Amino acid sequence: MEILWFGVLAVLLTGYFALEGFDIGLGMLLPVLGRTPAARDRLVGTMAPFVLANEVWLVALAGVLFGAFPLLEGKVISGLYPLVVALLLSWILRDAGLWFRRRLGGAAWRSLWDWALCLGSAGLAITWGTALTAVARGLPPGALLDPPGIAGGIVVAAVFACHGWTFAAWRLPGEPAVGGRRRTGRALLGSGCLAAAPAVVAVAALASPILDHAAPAATLSVLSVMVLPCVPIMVGAQLWIWRTFGRGAVPTFF
Amino acid sequence: MDVVDLARLQFAVTGSLHFLFVVLTLGLAPLVAIMNTRHVLSGNPLHERMTRFWGQIYVINYALGIFTGLVMEFQFGLNWSGLSHYAGDVFGAPLAMETLLAFFLESTFLGLWIFGWHRLPKRAHLACIWLVTLTAYASAFFVMVANSFLQHPAAAVEQGGRLALRDFGALLTNPSLAFSLPHVISAGLWTGGFVVMGASAYHLFRRTAEREFFVRSLRIGVVTAFVGSLFTVGFGYAQFGPVGVIQPDKFHGVAPGMALGIMIMIGQLGQFAVMFVLLPLLFRDLLARWRWLHPILMLMTPLPFVAAIAGWIAREVGRQPWIVYGRLRVADALTPGMTTGGLTVSLAAFAGLLGLLAVVDYVLIARVVRRGPQQVALGAPDLPAEPAPVPARSL
Repeated sequence: MEILWFGVLAVLLTGYFALEGFDIGLGMLLPVLGRTPAARDRLVGTMAPFVLANEVWLVALAGVLFGAFPLLEGKVISGLYPLVVALLLSWILRDAGLWFRRRLGGAAWRSLWDWALCLGSAGLAITWGTALTAVARGLPPGALLDPPGIAGGIVVAAVFACHGWTFAAWRLPGEPAVGGRRRTGRALLGSGCLAAAPAVVAVAALASPILDHAAPAATLSVLSVMVLPCVPIMVGAQLWIWRTFGRGAVPTFF
Repeated sequence: MDVVDLARLQFAVTGSLHFLFVVLTLGLAPLVAIMNTRHVLSGNPLHERMTRFWGQIYVINYALGIFTGLVMEFQFGLNWSGLSHYAGDVFGAPLAMETLLAFFLESTFLGLWIFGWHRLPKRAHLACIWLVTLTAYASAFFVMVANSFLQHPAAAVEQGGRLALRDFGALLTNPSLAFSLPHVISAGLWTGGFVVMGASAYHLFRRTAEREFFVRSLRIGVVTAFVGSLFTVGFGYAQFGPVGVIQPDKFHGVAPGMALGIMIMIGQLGQFAVMFVLLPLLFRDLLARWRWLHPILMLMTPLPFVAAIAGWIAREVGRQPWIVYGRLRVADALTPGMTTGGLTVSLAAFAGLLGLLAVVDYVLIARVVRRGPQQVALGAPDLPAEPAPVPARSL
């Protein structure tokens, strides 16, 4: 039973990196790829329908951490205190940029929230890299922002940026924002695997301490009975998003 | 202030902000779903415009519900790791179910609904908003299950200094949950009804061109507020029985007593006003025609929000000093080793950013209301698949 919920945790973290990775990467690249307001609108419009479905993977991850690995939850989140605060602030800033950028007409307003979107995305990528590095090293005290942590942040930001660019070139093939280039679905899958690699490494390095901190069987059984029957619905809803928004016109609300 | 006060204040600020937005989400979701249903069944463009206008307000309000909810979820681990250490094997289960069974689906279906106007078949699109409503209510259910466990730790036994889950069924049939859940959900409907009513009164008072739109909306708002207020008050009084048994001293303190008094005053007077004045005045649309009443309706709009916060304060402050009633004290649930400096910084950062965004969000909602149904971004046409051609340079 612990193994099952460890699997759920691993899938959620890996999935979050593979999916939300392109939103974060594209957000970071927004001022670079989108030179005009119209180009930025198109780029944001491509990722907009995916963001809501992608960011919940992290919400679900935190829920599973609390429900199935409660002893770990307190240790990890409080052990990474400043990083988690920075991650949340970046996440909120990024989301606020998305939700608010088109709510008023003025160019200055949209540009302000485009910067929030860009800086929030960069903050998310860097804090994730630093946090994973710290967790993989066993949370050494006082070493959250040392050279290995910063290097981890840069690596994650780089793979997310690559994934975000590939997503844009897959969704807007041949458009000026991606220099007229095109990427296939297979290339997107590849960049997704690259983006997920840091998460896979961290989960693999931590498998045994995670398993040691699982909740008792009574709790895990209740969680399994309640959650597992709904997994097909969750997967189906995610696939529906890809089927609906993978091609064609670009939605405008964000 | 010491560490405990700072951590409590941080939770109180994010929790109150979260509740302000969530209570409106719970009220507006079913209204938008019903409007969307009428649009799909009748094909009447008026219902489509209503769905888009009130849907846009729902969606803008939803954003702050997410932002504040993220901070709430992670704050347990940041500041209150003693809670997950002692009670996580029980308390964590409903929270995990909330994220997986409710919010995960809610957010995914909301994305399909917001962006799928011109993409999905009409009935599939309609199904999305109903699924959003259903999962929003499921979310409220699981959160209230978790909260009720903190109020009355049924279903758990202490083993080796930690709580263990004994009986999941007892978690769901907690006496602290049975009446509080319908109370909260009805309060959401009341809030949604008052927002629709107040915004409609604004347009009718200004004599804008959208008279039919807002006469109908005013009716929907008042009827929703009537149903919501009736059940809010009913299930509110019903809670005195179980609370008297499980937390007899709950309202003896100054703060919970005052908060309870404010909530009951707003609730009781408001419910009478809706039932005996506003509802009868729907006869022959008198309420829509009597323009002098409209500023009063606008002024009444914030009342359910004030009552909701007061009710939350009464429920939460009233169980102090316990975080898990009778089992774990708030002071013992703090993450070990936190400093006042660190907590002050995180409190200032969260409260500052969320407070600022909350103000921006309310300004944006007010602006959508003011501009009216003519200019609504939700459901607006998509950008074409090909980018706009770059204009050719001419001499």
